[in-house]
Amino acid sequence: MKIDQISEDGIRRLVDEFYARVRADTELAPIFYRAIPGDWGLHLATMRDFWSSVMLTSGRYKGNPVAVHLRIEGMEPRLFDRWLELFSDTCGELFDEGLAESLRAKALRIAESLKLALFYRPDRPWPRSVP
Amino acid sequence: MAEERTLTFIVTDNCIKCKYMDCVEVCPVDCFYEGENMLVIHPDECIDCGVCEPECPAEAIFPDTKPELESWLKLNADYALVWPNITIKREPPADAKEFDGVSGKFERYFSPNPGQGD
Repeated sequence: MKIDQISEDGIRRLVDEFYARVRADTELAPIFYRAIPGDWGLHLATMRDFWSSVMLTSGRYKGNPVAVHLRIEGMEPRLFDRWLELFSDTCGELFDEGLAESLRAKALRIAESLKLALFYRPDRPWPRSVP
Repeated sequence: MAEERTLTFIVTDNCIKCKYMDCVEVCPVDCFYEGENMLVIHPDECIDCGVCEPECPAEAIFPDTKPELESWLKLNADYALVWPNITIKREPPADAKEFDGVSGKFERYFSPNPGQGD
C-alpha cells in the first residue's frame, strides 16, 4: 500500500530509503562519502528535518544548503540529475502518484536553484534541465 | 549588462506596512531580511522551495519567474545585503490589517531603513 498523505513517518521512510540508494550508487556514493565521511545518522536526521520543513512547514531545518554545497569539491551538474533520478524512483515506489509528483516538483525546484548557485556564470548559457 | 539568473521567491509591495512575518518561521534556510516596514528575501540564499509563499497572509510573496517583478527582485537583492537577518516572528504592526491590500504602497510608504532583526 503506497503512502497517500505526507507525514513525519513518510518523510523518515523516504529519507532512509533514498540515502540507502545514494550510498549504493556508483555515481553518487563517492562524492557523498567524501562529503560525509563520518556519522550518516546525523546527515539523515538533518535531511529528515529539511524535508519536514519543506513538506510539512515544520520549520525544523535551519541551515544554508547553498553554502554547504559550495564547500564540496567535485560537484558537477550531472550529479544533480542522477540525484533527481534516484529521488524520483524512491518517491514513485513509496508514495501514490500525486504525492510522489509534489515531492519531485519540490526536489526539482530546489536542485535547479542549487545548481544555479553553484554553476551559473553570467557569460555562459544556462542548460536548464528538463523534468 | 549580464543577465542575472536566480531561482528564488521575492517579497513584493503588499508586505509594506503589513510585515506579518509568518514567512520567517517556515523558511528552512533563514533567508529573510528585515527592513523598517517590510521584509525581503536574499535571492542567493533562497532555494526556491516555495514554503513561504502560501504562508504569507498578505500574499506578497511570488516566484521571480514573473517578468513584471524584475524591479522587486532587484530591491530584494539590494536590501538583503544591508538589512539584518530575521528568523523569529514578532508581533506584526498594530495597523497591519488596515494596510493589507492598499495599492502602490512602495511609492508612499517604503522605508530603506533597516528593521531590528533577531
